[in-house]
This record gives sequence, structure tokens and C-alpha cells, in this order.
Amino acid sequence: MVKFSLDGKTVSAPEGELLVYAAARHGVFIPTLCHDEKLDPYGGCRMCVVDVEGSPRPLPACATRVTAGLAVSTNSSVPQYRKTLTEMLLSEHLNANPGGRPNELLDMAEELGAAAPLILPDAKREPYEDRNRLMGYDPDACILCNRCVRYTQEVMQCSALSLEGRGPTARIVPTHGHSWLDTECELCGGCLSTCPTGAIYEKFHEGAPPQHERSLDQVKSTCTFCGVGCQIDLHVDPATKRIVKVTSDPGYVSNEGNLCVKGRFAFNFVHHPDRLTQPLVRGEDGELHPTSWDDALRVAAEGLRGVKERHGPQAIGVLASARLTMEENFLLQKLARTALETHSIHSCEAT
Amino acid sequence: MGRGATTNSIPEIENCKFMLVIGSNTTEAHPVLALRMKKAVRKGATLVVADPRKIWLTKLAKRHLQLRPGSDVWLLNAIMHVILEEGLQDEDYIREYTEDLDAVREVVARYTPEQAEQVTGVPAADIVATAREYAGERKAAIFYTLGITEHACAIDNIWSLSNLVLMTGHLGYESTGLNALRGQNNVQGLNDAGANPTYFPGYQTIDEENRRKFSEAWGVPIPERPGYRLDQMMSGLHDGRVRALYLVGENPAHTEPNAHHVEEGLGKLEFVVAQDLFLNETSRAHANVVFPASSFAEKDGTFTNTERRVNRVRKAVPCPGEAREDWRIVVDLARALGARWPEYRTSEDVWNEFADLSPNWSGIRYDRIEEVGLQWPCTDREHPGSPYLYADRPARASGRGKFYPVEYKPPIEQPDSEFPFVLSTGRTLYHYNSATMTMREPGVLDKQEDPFVEINPEDAVALGIREGDWVRLVSRRGDLEARAAIGERVFPGLVWMALHFAQAKVNWLTHDVGDPLIGTPEYKVCAVRLEPVAP
Ligand code: SF4
Ligand code: SF4
Ligand code: SF4
Ligand code: FES
Repeated sequence: MVKFSLDGKTVSAPEGELLVYAAARHGVFIPTLCHDEKLDPYGGCRMCVVDVEGSPRPLPACATRVTAGLAVSTNSSVPQYRKTLTEMLLSEHLNANPGGRPNELLDMAEELGAAAPLILPDAKREPYEDRNRLMGYDPDACILCNRCVRYTQEVMQCSALSLEGRGPTARIVPTHGHSWLDTECELCGGCLSTCPTGAIYEKFHEGAPPQHERSLDQVKSTCTFCGVGCQIDLHVDPATKRIVKVTSDPGYVSNEGNLCVKGRFAFNFVHHPDRLTQPLVRGEDGELHPTSWDDALRVAAEGLRGVKERHGPQAIGVLASARLTMEENFLLQKLARTALETHSIHSCEAT
Repeated sequence: MGRGATTNSIPEIENCKFMLVIGSNTTEAHPVLALRMKKAVRKGATLVVADPRKIWLTKLAKRHLQLRPGSDVWLLNAIMHVILEEGLQDEDYIREYTEDLDAVREVVARYTPEQAEQVTGVPAADIVATAREYAGERKAAIFYTLGITEHACAIDNIWSLSNLVLMTGHLGYESTGLNALRGQNNVQGLNDAGANPTYFPGYQTIDEENRRKFSEAWGVPIPERPGYRLDQMMSGLHDGRVRALYLVGENPAHTEPNAHHVEEGLGKLEFVVAQDLFLNETSRAHANVVFPASSFAEKDGTFTNTERRVNRVRKAVPCPGEAREDWRIVVDLARALGARWPEYRTSEDVWNEFADLSPNWSGIRYDRIEEVGLQWPCTDREHPGSPYLYADRPARASGRGKFYPVEYKPPIEQPDSEFPFVLSTGRTLYHYNSATMTMREPGVLDKQEDPFVEINPEDAVALGIREGDWVRLVSRRGDLEARAAIGERVFPGLVWMALHFAQAKVNWLTHDVGDPLIGTPEYKVCAVRLEPVAP
């Protein structure tokens, strides 16, 4: 631990800790935009700058490390600087809401009372079409913070996205490809999740109202697709009671907010029209027919009991499933071992 | 090594200094866990990948041990050979915590790296280097998955790995261990909960004492006769030992090897009850009763992930139509069968019964896992959970880890002139098991819609097959068609297919001669021939 001064107070932090975290632990919240705790320090947007004694220019708190005796001020010239910076970004931010995702730039503008002073004449950038059906990108919402590209390089290591061009025409494009589907992209949505402005968005929410994501109900749960057990937030439309999006939070221990294509995008099966909605019983005609729960349970119990009486309990097998919960598998083995009187319970996915 | 679970935790992976990934295509089967491996490599860890295919992780690997399918035991024995020959083993650990090293020493003495090169195709120098690196690094971890367990010699492979870990003392602290990556979301929990013929919930053996314990808890006698494993049930379909099945979320007509044979067997059953989200091949053709069940988003409960962490699952949306939560259906069926069960009002009531009966889980309760899941063993309410196992000593009665010598056995079905290719199978990123769920996700399918078979360019040229062509794969048991995906991921003579595709069931081709001890079918390796399909 070393001591340094923060807005006139002497505080301590582990040597080498990023200033933005050290300050936060001492109650000083420094806003960031291009920073993501999952990514290497970058210091690109300068939204988080602070004055440091002895430095001719303000330094980004997200890329400056604590050293002994550092003297940091977050409140001198900084707020005005931040407001000007926000206004510059806003003057190129033609579409604040391509797909209803949260927009940190607008949050910041609101907090600082910043508005676009003018729209730059050459702000309009060439739109970008992609034939994948999951993720869209709108250059007019992009502030070129490079978080998406850095996520692809550092976390996913997919090198699927690149920053193309300079200045007013710059935008994010699939590397060496015409579509994300032609790159190494695995549709994990990680670049989307780190994008602070919603410039990368779920295509199936194109045209959603501003702040749409924040209007949804959130239920924390566990992904159903593999043994990693990623923690997820299911977003439910309160009107339709349907899952419309899945996100995760960087604070979740096992997955740190990362997901794969299945966890993030494969939720439509839940509401698929092929879902069974009624019990079925096979009739004399050999076909399955809808029936009531009482009837289905009666037929099932009679059938199982019949086999048990004719051939003994050993003639019945139960196959449980790795897709079910602990509780359900517990009850299934209890059913086998008590009501059916057999230990013959196993699963097709026992490994 | 005492318990069927991963020894260490996912967050610890990023601090490993050495990782051996053997038979795990981690970026596709466990993508987010693979992110930790990528992070570890960025932080300077050495990665060695042992896999017949050039899987994605080989790009980050210092070394790719491209072994022939089914030759894992040879490779591992040769690595141990080097360790013992060069004296790289951890003598203190061996003395304190293990027994019977000599038995292994005797066997591996015959497995020289030079001969290993002949059998496995891995250069001897690579074997030696890997042995030195693994033994020399303290934070060294091994990861494996179905790739290695779905062989006829599944148990042998696990014992080999266990020997390697014990001999180097890589156990019982952070960022090390032997980490079996469980495939399905709750396969760990499925076993923990006792959905297994050989033990009660919480891995409690079915002996006199435990039968009494459970019989007292449940108020009925517990049967004495041992139950059937999956493979015994499947063979029982044919010889009349099994006459009825209750299938919950299962589709054996798709997921079992030698699927044609299984389907025939299902046709002989007197009674089938199926419970699932969708109709599938099995229920459509064979079920007498079908219960409409619930997806994970429609119920409360828990899943246990591969690091033994019990995570909450929460109800977010109602079941469609009259569909019901699976646990309620089981309770309803028990009642219809005349069982006198207590009233379960919530999934938490069920959990509490399980936790009360299972010592290693008794400290895990819903109120403790609201925010972050706990890892078993967790024996009381004060217990913080167990990020890694064997901090004290291996969990056998003797307190010592046992070495089991393992001899190499060649794969049961070898290629010959009629079926000259080895077919290996596995998972892909974009699908889940029999894909009844993922096949209904158009946006995801854009990456991978048709069944495909990976073929080496050399073989493709010889057979006149071009990228994207349909080819027919024929085995002794069946045939199917898939599109050619030509590339260096497989070596000449090897072809590879994913397990998931319903319209081209790989399990028509594979055979069901499994590991005699655990009954895992040999999905992984069988012999096939390839025929171009006229367009
Ligand atoms: S979605 Fe995932 S894989 Fe695709 S470009 Fe973004 S980060 Fe890379
Ligand atoms: S798309 Fe988003 S994350 Fe990427 S550069 Fe633009 S604003 Fe930043
Ligand atoms: S999000 Fe992907 S990696 Fe995570 S649990 Fe789900 S399927 Fe597994
Ligand atoms: S957030 Fe620090 S420079 Fe962008």
C-alpha cells in the first residue's frame, strides 16, 4: 500500500492500482467511457481525465496507476473539460438509439447538462448492412471508443472486428469479410455488450424505443446450455411476458459478464410455437391426442403400475435429464426408488 | 480420485502457469470457460493441447500434441515415463498422500517416448518437453472433457490422468488440479442429486446402512436389487428385461449410439411416458403418454456447474398453455401412483430435503445462494464452500490417492480396407445435444445449418470431393449424408462430425460397445468409408 493525495485528502491504495478504482474506493467517482474493466487500460476518450501535480496535461484516470505521493485533483478544470468533450461527441452522434440499448454517452450528457452545439456537416457515415440476424451496427451511433475491437482482440481473441478509416469516415467493420458471418466471429455478442452507446445492438430490437432495455423486467438466472453455468439476466417484456433479451453482469463470478452465442441469443426456443402445451395420450387409433392432466396422469400411473405388476419393478427404467434442475432430478430418483421401487434411474448425458 | 467432479474453480484458471488441455475442444464446448484460458495465456501461461484435431485453442498453444484418436493412454503413460525417469515427481506428496506408485512405475517403464511416437503420432521430443513443463510448474492444471471420457477406454483415460496428477502433487491448492469439464448444464447436479443407479443423492453408496437411512427418511422400504445403468436399460429393451420407460427430457432414439438398434428396441416396449418441451423422435413414435414440461426460464430451482457451484435458476415467464414445471409433474405422478410424499410447495422445499439428507450439501441453502452460488462440499451453514478439493488430502477412506496402472488398449473398431477412415465425433459451439432447442434459433443457425463432416484436403482430393459437396458416410451400422468441410483441422485418414444434427444422426454410425465399468458408450471412434454423392 502507498499513500497519495486525492482532492486534498491523504488516502492509500495498492501501488500500481488504476486511479479510477482507487478513487472509487475512496468515494470519488470518476466517469469513464472508453474504459471497460475487462480490457487493458487504454485511455482513448479522455472522459476520465484528472489533474495530476507535475503533469503538464490532465491524465486519464483509467490508464494512470497509483504511485506514492501522487497528488490528484478531480475537481479543478476537469468538469468543464468533460462537458466540452461530451458536446464534441454529441455533435457526431446522429443516431442515439439504433436498438434500444442503454447509452452511456447520453447518460453523461444529461448529468453534465451537455447538448450538441451543432451537428458537424460531415458527421453522417456510410451505413453498414450485415446479413447476420443477431447483431447490427450503426456508425451514426458509434463514438469510435474502440471497446468492441479491443474486446474481440483481448477477451474473445476472435480478431473479427477492425477500425476502418480515419476521422469523419471512420467506422467499425468485420475484418477481411463482407459480413460478421464470414469472419472468425462466433456471435458471442461480447463486442455488443461492451459497446457504451448501443451502436452495436441486437438486430431483433432494431427501432426499439429509447431506453427500451431499461424498461424490461430482469430476472437473474443460470444459462441452460452448458456446464460453465454462466449467470445471466433474462429480460422479460412486462406486457407480453416473453424473454426478449439476455445480458450478463461483469460482477458475476464464474463468467464475469461474458456469454457465448447460446447463452446470449438462443432463448427463442422458450416461446417456440412447437412447444407442447397440453398433455397427450395415445389413442386406439395409434395417434397422440390432447387430454386433461388428470387423464394423462391416470393413464401414466396405470400403465406403469401394470408393467410393474406383470414384470416386476425391474422392468421399469427412468431416464432423468441434465437439463432439469437439481430438485427435479432429486424427485425423479425418489420416484424411482420409492413409488416405482427400482434403482434403475440414469440419463443419456451422465458424463 | 475419490470424487467425480472438477477439483478446481473457473476463476482460478486465469492464474495457471501451465495448462494441458486434453480431449477438450474448450472454445466450442465450454466457450466462456475457454475465455479464462485465453486470459491465462495472455498473462503468460504455457498452453499445451492434446487433440487429434487442430482445434481453435491450438492457435494459442505452445505445442499441439496431435495424437491419433484413442491413443490417449499411450501418450499419458509416456509422459509419466519421462517424469519418473528424470526424477521430476513430487516425492513428498507421493509419500504423504498416495499409495501404490510402484505398480504404475512398472507399467509406464515400458512406455518410452520413442515408442509412443510410433503409436500416437506425437513426436517424442514433444512428449519429453511437455512432461518437463508440467512437472516443473506448480500452478499446472489439466482439463479434459467428453473427448476423453466417451471412449471405450474412458475409465482408463481418467485413471491415467489421475496417476499423472498424483505423481506430481498437482492437487489441493489454487490454479491446479484435474478438471473434468462437464458437458451439459446440470450434468454435475444430475449426478449429485442421485439420478444414478449406483448411489443415493450426494454419492451415498447403496448399502445396508444408507438403505435404512433413506427408508426412514422416506417412509417406505428401499429396494435391494441394483438398478440398471443406461447401457443396461438399452440392451434390456431387446431381451425383455425392460418393458417400460419414463423419459424426462430425453431422446434416446437420437442420442444413443447405434441409434437404429435403439429405435428397434423402443418399439418393443409395453409402455412409455415422455416429458419434454417438444415432441421428439422417441416420443412421437413410442410414447403412450406425453407430459408438456417446462424450460429453465419457467421454474425455480438450481443447476450445479462444472466447478461444483450450485447456482439459482429463477422463474422468469409462465409455462405455455397447460405445460407444468417438471418438478410439479413428478410430484403429481408420484401422487397418481399412490405415493405418500410430503407437500412440496416450492422448489426450495425439495432442495431442503436433498440438503438435509446429503452431508456435503447440507450447508447450501437458498438464502445463501441468492447472489453467488456456493461450491460443494459445504457441510454446514458456516462453511464457505470449496473452491478447490483435496486441500487436506485425497478423499478416499485411506486418505491416500491410489495409483492404478493402466495399459493401452487399441480402439475396438479399427479402420480396414472396407471402412478405411476413422470417424471421431464431438460437440460444436452452435448446438446443444440433440439440438431440439438450438435448431429452433434461426439467427444462430446462420453460422452452421447443414450437417458437415471435416475431411483432410489430401483425402478430399483422392476421393474427388470438393468443399460443400454432399458426401455419404457409411459404417457397419448405418449411413448418413453431410456436407464436406475440407481443411487441416483433421489429419489424413480422420474425419470428424458433430453429434447434434437430427437429419443426419451420427449415432446411426457409431457403436455401443462401452466402457464396461461406467457404461459410457464409445461415441468417439468408429470406422467408416466415404462416398461422393452425385449432385
Ligand atoms: S460477437 Fe463475439 S465473436 Fe463476434 S465479433 Fe463480437 S466479440 Fe467477436
Ligand atoms: S461500436 Fe460501440 S464499442 Fe465499438 S467503437 Fe463504436 S461506440 Fe465504441
Ligand atoms: S453462455 Fe455459453 S458458456 Fe456460458 S453457460 Fe451458456 S452455453 Fe455455456
Ligand atoms: S475512459 Fe479513460 S480515457 Fe476513456
